[in-house]
Amino acid sequence: MSGALLLLATLGTSLVAAVVIFLLPERAFRARTGINLGAALVKLSLVAWMVWGLSHGREYVIEFPVLEGLAFVLRADDLGIMFAGLSSLLWLLTTIYAIGYLEDSPNRKRFFGFFGLCVASTLGISLAGNLFTFLVFYELLTLSTYPLVVHRGTSKALAAGKVYLRFTLTAGMGLMVGMVILHVLAGDIRFGEREILAELGPERRPLLVGLFWVLIAGFGVKAALVPLHGWLPRAMVAPAPVSALLHAVAVVKAGAFGIVRLVYDVYGIELSAELGLLYGLVVVASVTILFGSLRALAQQELKPRLAYSTVSQVSYIVLGIGLFGPLGTIAALSHLLHQGLMKITLFFCAGNYAEELGIHRIDELDGAGRRMPLTSLAFTVGALGMIGLPPVVGFLSKWYLGTGAIQAGMPWVIIVLVASSLLNAAYFLPVLGRLWFRPGPDHGVGAWPEERRLGRLETHGWLLVPAVATALFSLMAGMLAGMPFSPLEWATRVVNAEYLP
Amino acid sequence: MSDALLALAMPTALLWPLLLMLRVPLMAALADRGRPAALIDGLWCTAPLPALALALGVEEGALALDWWLFGGHWALDGTRNALLAVTALLWLLAGGYARGYLAGELDKAVAGDGGAEARLTRFALLWPLTLSGNLLLLVAEDIASFYLGFAVMTFAGYGLVVHSGTPDARTGGQAYLVMAVLGEGLILAGLLWGAGSAGTTTLGGLREGMGEAPGGAWMGLLLWLGFGVKAGVVGLHLWLPLAHPVAPTPASAVLSGAMIKAGLFGWLATLPLGEPAATEAFTWLGRAMLVAGLAAAIGAALYGVCQRHPKAVLAYSSVSQMGMITALVAMGLVAPALWPALSMAVVLFAAHHGLTKGALFLGVGIGEHPPRLPGWLLWTLLALPALSLTGALASGLAAKWAFKTVLYDGGYKVVVTWLSLAAVGTTALMARTLWCQWQADRQARQDGLEPLLSPMPLAWLATLLAALTLPWWLGDELVDQGWPPLAELPGLLWPLALGLAGSVATWGVARWRPLRVTRRLPPGDLWWLLVGGWQRLRVWAQGSLDRLGSVQGAWVAWWVARERDAIEALDGMTRGEGWLRRHAAVLMMGVAAGLALLMLFGTAGIGPA
Repeated sequence: MSGALLLLATLGTSLVAAVVIFLLPERAFRARTGINLGAALVKLSLVAWMVWGLSHGREYVIEFPVLEGLAFVLRADDLGIMFAGLSSLLWLLTTIYAIGYLEDSPNRKRFFGFFGLCVASTLGISLAGNLFTFLVFYELLTLSTYPLVVHRGTSKALAAGKVYLRFTLTAGMGLMVGMVILHVLAGDIRFGEREILAELGPERRPLLVGLFWVLIAGFGVKAALVPLHGWLPRAMVAPAPVSALLHAVAVVKAGAFGIVRLVYDVYGIELSAELGLLYGLVVVASVTILFGSLRALAQQELKPRLAYSTVSQVSYIVLGIGLFGPLGTIAALSHLLHQGLMKITLFFCAGNYAEELGIHRIDELDGAGRRMPLTSLAFTVGALGMIGLPPVVGFLSKWYLGTGAIQAGMPWVIIVLVASSLLNAAYFLPVLGRLWFRPGPDHGVGAWPEERRLGRLETHGWLLVPAVATALFSLMAGMLAGMPFSPLEWATRVVNAEYLP
Repeated sequence: MSDALLALAMPTALLWPLLLMLRVPLMAALADRGRPAALIDGLWCTAPLPALALALGVEEGALALDWWLFGGHWALDGTRNALLAVTALLWLLAGGYARGYLAGELDKAVAGDGGAEARLTRFALLWPLTLSGNLLLLVAEDIASFYLGFAVMTFAGYGLVVHSGTPDARTGGQAYLVMAVLGEGLILAGLLWGAGSAGTTTLGGLREGMGEAPGGAWMGLLLWLGFGVKAGVVGLHLWLPLAHPVAPTPASAVLSGAMIKAGLFGWLATLPLGEPAATEAFTWLGRAMLVAGLAAAIGAALYGVCQRHPKAVLAYSSVSQMGMITALVAMGLVAPALWPALSMAVVLFAAHHGLTKGALFLGVGIGEHPPRLPGWLLWTLLALPALSLTGALASGLAAKWAFKTVLYDGGYKVVVTWLSLAAVGTTALMARTLWCQWQADRQARQDGLEPLLSPMPLAWLATLLAALTLPWWLGDELVDQGWPPLAELPGLLWPLALGLAGSVATWGVARWRPLRVTRRLPPGDLWWLLVGGWQRLRVWAQGSLDRLGSVQGAWVAWWVARERDAIEALDGMTRGEGWLRRHAAVLMMGVAAGLALLMLFGTAGIGPA
């Protein structure tokens, strides 16, 4: 298969799946499940094919002009394929989870249709070859996520959806303006053509700085940088698979990935350092990390706590970008994947507790480890990873961030990292303590809020398997970090291409 | 040993406890409902056996695993072997002891007590896990594996501390966990900073790089304090006297005997001890460590003799002994030239303290459930490790002689004097421990005696034997100072005599007029101050978090208000448009008239020119 065809096929799989799902009647459960899983598997194998091809020096590009001097470009590079791999792997698991989660609930056709569109746009974002293409898919992502956020149709969900749209559409407008100015200034910048902006005269520098912050603010809404994070904890009302999608697979990640593209492939890391932009990013990220952790500490419910934890953890990516030097970049890129693996595990588990036992508040979790051992083990792995303990992947990110900070001459970042670790420990360890060390209903103390025996295992098999699988992935990716094709190894590969000309 | 064999033996030693851990849920699942399985059986007890064989069978060796974390690098050498052997042996014997100790729990579980069954399962799972962490950190040469082992040991150890689930155990567990997390944070900061500056992933590289790095002493300080939480450095020792009395006795034994030594190993592995190239700042760090060590050695003894629970007294004794070791380690920074000889003494001292303290802790359980032995023999056996710890005989004497000669040769007589004063305190602590046990024993004898050939007494006797004979089996290079000549004995034994005399005198006084001081000095000393401070901080933080929330609320409200203004402006434009439409005709006429006038005057203006 030629390179261009492979790209289109990868992108088209989920688009076609989405269209077919919209055409199918609501009650065609089996056909819909089959198409969903089939498309996810096909896409995963196509992305795996491209990963293999890229590591053997193949190229995958397709482009056609839209206007004079503006082209629609799809291109698989090392960085993009990393994000594509993450989203297609986690899409498969989230699909499995969503099928189990939404069993017997209304409007599944609408849900899975938009779900497919959402993932198609995520893939488009990862394979976009210039800012214009990126923005097209970025906006598509915003629009296709809205129906998922308000899926339940309650007034709370609708209010959250409104907040979501307000934040993201405003940000989209900012991005559009920024991109147009950039286009006027320098023409169509393909990702990777860093020299275009670097060669502009010194009189353009203040404009470039201003544009940078406009674009960062645009991406920062989705990446939930403080103070633009307000929509994320609000969107907690969405069903658990959507939360997983928002926090780990698509939306938040798209924002962080946008910042990665902007700094590395549009401005270029050297120009960003020269303009003094990186220092600002580090400060913003540090504030976000600490603020998110503090807010998480104050939450009494499980999902909002996880949501604020996302605010904090996603900023590790931005922090890594801000640390000028290969180690910081490795940290940023690998954390893009690591955070996804760990956070999706945590959200799957939170969903399992809610579905099986009706647990929403943290103080209802007492003794749940005995009732749901595998879910609780998965949760433990995710939580320990978030704290940054080896051998879970979170440790690798923290290690590279710390050493990268030293390399970049910013040792104070270590204080931020350690403070964040301590705060993470302060809000995750009590949860683990309740799971494993407090007596609960299964020890004869109290009762579960709303127990539904969903399956022969501790809960529905479709809910259990994805949670355990992602927990295993986060463990394996940490323990086997030295193996080829591990997230860390691939990030190192990208960085080598970035820093070694 | 050949490389291939080592490549097999080392992972086996580390994985065997984990395999035994995985067996536990399998056994629990296969057991009939209502008839819990005997999870703590003979096979379970063998968890540390491969590690012990490795430590005793291999002189030196290294194993590199490229795929593991940042590149695994596991090694064995003199120091590691000695500590690994002692650690594995203590875990082995304490595991055997646990079989007997927890037999009562098993009976309860069989009788249908769900809580006892859950506790037993948890213990059976977490014991091998904690052990595997402890073993890994001792063989790890790469920082990531070391940190992994340390973290696994620390966090799994929490489950052992809170085993009984009583409120006291919760408090002990909380103190343990809070301090441990704090320590992990300090260690992480030190490791990241040190490894980042040196650009290395191994402990050896870290040690070398730190000695010369600018700000190296600060990294050293972070690591010293971080590992100091585990090793009970004064001020960070709070968890020891709270966690030890509440943990099950075998867990107390490994906590005090083996896991505390992990802190010491952390120092040995990361601080640039004996590096002549280390910067001047490290000498200052060494001095601070020396003062802190001696303060702990003497202060903990003074506070410890006021305790009433024998395990709390023993915990303070551990703080005191680790203070002495801290002082010796500090000498490696103050006087690097002494370190090659002194390091051997430190390792010997640590090994001696590990096993002897293990025997003492296991002896507390023996005192509570005395075996069928004549009273005099039982008390002699209980007193032997206590005497050894004061430095009067066997391994204690060898260890004391070893560091004393080195320090004397180096000209540090003052340090020796202070250490001897600490030994006086140790004697008093040991006397106090035995006294507390004596009190408990009289009660226990009325309850009935245990058979001698059951796991608990056998494990205790074996630990005792191993502790006393340590210098003969551990390795020749560690006891190269040999045994003290007869003429030196008075110089070594006067602390014992002074301590005994003081103890007898105090006892005599206390018989006449009971001292009330023990009531006012709870175990955990500073912890209670911290708890008070924390409550106040929490109230304050809650207030500021609420304020933060209201600030955020105001910020959002401001934006919502701006949005409303904007919408209103838009609505205003719609109204304006309606007005325009209604008055279009008049407006048009006005515009037309205006234009006409403009043209008129315009042409008038242009015309004549």
